[in-house]
Amino acid sequence: MLKKKYASVLVATALVALSLGASLPTTQAAIPAIQVYISGDTNVQDLWEKTLVPAFKLANPGYDVNVTLDLHGTHDAQETAKITAAFATRKDAGADLIDGGFVQQLGSAGLLFKGTTALIPNLSTVSRAVLTIGKGGIPYRASAVLLAYNSTNVKTPPKTLDELLVWVKAHPGKFTYNTPSGGGSGFAFVQTVIDKYLTNAERKTLVLGVNKDLQPKWKTGLETLRGLNAYTYGKNGTYPANNAETLKDIATGLVDMGTVWSDQFASAIKDGTMPANIKVTQIANPAFTGGAAYLGIPRTSKNYKAAQVLANWVLSPAGQNLIVAGTMNGMPVIPVSMLDPKIAQGLSTVDVTNLRAPYFSANGNDLKSAWALAVPGK
Amino acid sequence: MTSTKTDVVAEGLGAAKAPRLSVVGFLMALPPLLLVLFFVGLPVLIAFTFSLGFTTGPNRVLSMIGQEIHKKDQWWGTFSAYKDVIHDPRFAGDMRTTLAITFISTTLVLLMALGIGIYQRMIGGRLASVMTALTLVPLFVPVVIAAWAIHTFYAGDGFMRSFFSQFGIEFPTVTSTVSAIAIGTIWTSLPFAILMVTSGLQSIPDALIETAQDAGAGFIRIIRTVLIPLAITPIVIAGTFTAIGILGSFTIPLFLGPNQPTMLGVEISNFFGAYNRPQQSIVMAFIVFASASGIALIYIWANVRSAKQSGRI
Amino acid sequence: MAKREKSRAKSSSPVVKALLGIFMLAMAFFILGPLLWLAIHAFVTNWTYPNLYPDGWTWHWWTQIFANSALEESIRNSLIISPIVVVLSMIICLPAAYAAGRMNYVGRKTFLIGLFAANSFPKIGLFASIATLYYALNLMGTIVGVIIIQLLGTIIYMTWIPAAAFASVPRNLEEAARDAGASKFRVFRTITLRMAMPGILVAIVMSFLASFDEAQGTYLVGAPAIYTMPTEMYALVENYPIQIAAVFSLLLAFPSVLLIGLARKHIVGGQLAEGFQIK
Repeated sequence: MLKKKYASVLVATALVALSLGASLPTTQAAIPAIQVYISGDTNVQDLWEKTLVPAFKLANPGYDVNVTLDLHGTHDAQETAKITAAFATRKDAGADLIDGGFVQQLGSAGLLFKGTTALIPNLSTVSRAVLTIGKGGIPYRASAVLLAYNSTNVKTPPKTLDELLVWVKAHPGKFTYNTPSGGGSGFAFVQTVIDKYLTNAERKTLVLGVNKDLQPKWKTGLETLRGLNAYTYGKNGTYPANNAETLKDIATGLVDMGTVWSDQFASAIKDGTMPANIKVTQIANPAFTGGAAYLGIPRTSKNYKAAQVLANWVLSPAGQNLIVAGTMNGMPVIPVSMLDPKIAQGLSTVDVTNLRAPYFSANGNDLKSAWALAVPGK
Repeated sequence: MTSTKTDVVAEGLGAAKAPRLSVVGFLMALPPLLLVLFFVGLPVLIAFTFSLGFTTGPNRVLSMIGQEIHKKDQWWGTFSAYKDVIHDPRFAGDMRTTLAITFISTTLVLLMALGIGIYQRMIGGRLASVMTALTLVPLFVPVVIAAWAIHTFYAGDGFMRSFFSQFGIEFPTVTSTVSAIAIGTIWTSLPFAILMVTSGLQSIPDALIETAQDAGAGFIRIIRTVLIPLAITPIVIAGTFTAIGILGSFTIPLFLGPNQPTMLGVEISNFFGAYNRPQQSIVMAFIVFASASGIALIYIWANVRSAKQSGRI
Repeated sequence: MAKREKSRAKSSSPVVKALLGIFMLAMAFFILGPLLWLAIHAFVTNWTYPNLYPDGWTWHWWTQIFANSALEESIRNSLIISPIVVVLSMIICLPAAYAAGRMNYVGRKTFLIGLFAANSFPKIGLFASIATLYYALNLMGTIVGVIIIQLLGTIIYMTWIPAAAFASVPRNLEEAARDAGASKFRVFRTITLRMAMPGILVAIVMSFLASFDEAQGTYLVGAPAIYTMPTEMYALVENYPIQIAAVFSLLLAFPSVLLIGLARKHIVGGQLAEGFQIK
């Protein structure tokens, strides 16, 4: 394997030396494989490799797809730097379609082909609000943050945020959420507590674009969060590092309650790493945030046309049916009425447009920083 | 003859060896230097201009994606990003934690390495050999696994607490405290220090120790006047490498430390990734870089000084 | 050798021996405790605090690991790339180490500090500029690129440690050999190199591990074409339950024990033992 790569490197170097920018003549089909880059958990990899890609290839003969996974987004910083550097030096970064949290950041920097209906016709069925938040990213599935609880120890879980806050103080050391910079499930809890003290209009402004003026209003929420330091697990104000650690703390029974991603929880139950007595529920007033996962087609991609075909297919009813029917309990981004009625059963109550969206990424980054300043270890 | 050898050992790297300057030596030293200059020095230089607010050319990349980017307002740039970092309330705590951990862990690592090295040199035997081999184990354990092992061992549901609770003793949860960072950094740095110190002590000739013993010197006196002075170069190299390694550590404080305050290595990564403030992140990287260079300078300075005192320069 | 045994026996009083014994036991607990605790988890279904015995035993985690095929290739890549890096590092750095240890030239101290400083710069701040540079040189995603980025991390070990070793070789031994009519090369080979060998060996081990463990830069340059063991493994460990990390630590312990065994045989065997002993 490696020898082959080494040989191809030598061949490539020789070719470059002979003719600047020459590419290897291919004897294969005209369309090169679409390189899909995933930054996420294995459940997202399974969704692509086992479900979406086989069905896509069946429906679109002549296309090939190659999936690369960066587990848990460990290397987001490298990948972002790489795609940006590739853009600046006019090289191909080796990714044609990206599925990851940093897609919006790339979109805001103008490094993605804008997700418009001209390029991807099926986007016309996706709600406008979800599209706007994407900043050029293509929404393709949704998931929500939920409250996971140990049903053996907690008979009646809290129904609203206020009830949850009361519960946390009544049961010291039994609730946790991870650092907002470490994972979205902890971020959702932080934003939800912050949002408690904001008006609906203010929340919306922070979701739709950069806004520094509203940030001072986070103060009350941050004080509430700091007040929880004495009652959360790790009493001196220490919080788990990431989503996986929160799941682990709940699974091992260290805590009775915590915030988790719906898709990661579903996958953990399936893997057997989450005991059956752990249940999930959503709270209200305000609810935990959720939102769409976005795809991005980098402008560095030479194979962007094929990537557009793939993205468009994922947004078709056929692609969305597979996302909903799969093991990750995904939510569709197109109206439920367009799905297969059998699959859509029980989904009618969930609507992606009703999910409370997370803040715009720049505001979100500021909130992560503000939380780190105001809450832990204080 | 023996004494000449030990003189050279004690002299170490800091002293000039030959009176005349060698062109051949300079040429021999060039290849690694050029490699480092091109592949590390150049990116560092580019990063430095970025920290001063030069946001065009090779720095266009970071300026495109980053938040809170300061553009230069003078011909030489701007110190705004540096001011941001220094005025950030996190910075003082992080800097203090980083320096304290570096100092305490390095000291303890050196003491442990000396303990094992002296035990092996002076007493020896099968137990000593087994122990030395055992202390090398962390060398072959990747940092991330070591971090997890220590994390679980001292965690709320870890061995220490489980064991002591059998006797009704409430052992503190060490994980997620600054002490856990110290334990982790000591654990991972120990093997290298022991390798250096042990090999230094082993190279001291028996004759010297015997002479001291015949002159009536006790155990402690031999350590103080014979072993440590003669092995000082490897000991100092061990200390310098350990300190610089700990200064820039990332995985250990990330897994074992509290969320705040943390070590600068983690904060650099937070600023670069989570908060998306690459310029401030690079400023912190330069602060770590400056501290590390400072330690290296102290090392060279100490060597030159000891060489001068003994009249060799 | 017999002489050394004598000098050792004389220098140890029972009190000192007992104190050192306690010190050794504490060290063993400090180093091995966490590893053993983790290792047991590899066979455990779940462990409820504060029991000293786990809830149950299982092989489940091992089958999960072996189901991951990408891991095998990444380990193979690591085992091929790291030796290449070490050999290249020796070719590039050992002459420089000799020069730094034995000769005087302009900027000698700057050279040593410069290498040191470059190594200590936190890499995360350099991702963007390194990526730009590598793209410009067409090194991105190539084996050559990965080798270079790993090579950079070994230079510090391959210059500093051998430099100290070369510096400590007694000059008068070499001069005596020269006087006895040995050629310059023969003196270098049989005396200088041989006496500096323990230091060089330490440098080789450290360089190998530095290259083997390098994850961040390798990912930046290599992915998605070339994965090495740490780039593959770090993510797995961070994302799976503690039991998976335990399986990894055992899998890694196996080659490590082998490595220690081999290193011991080579280092202890023959003349090298005088300078560097791991018995």
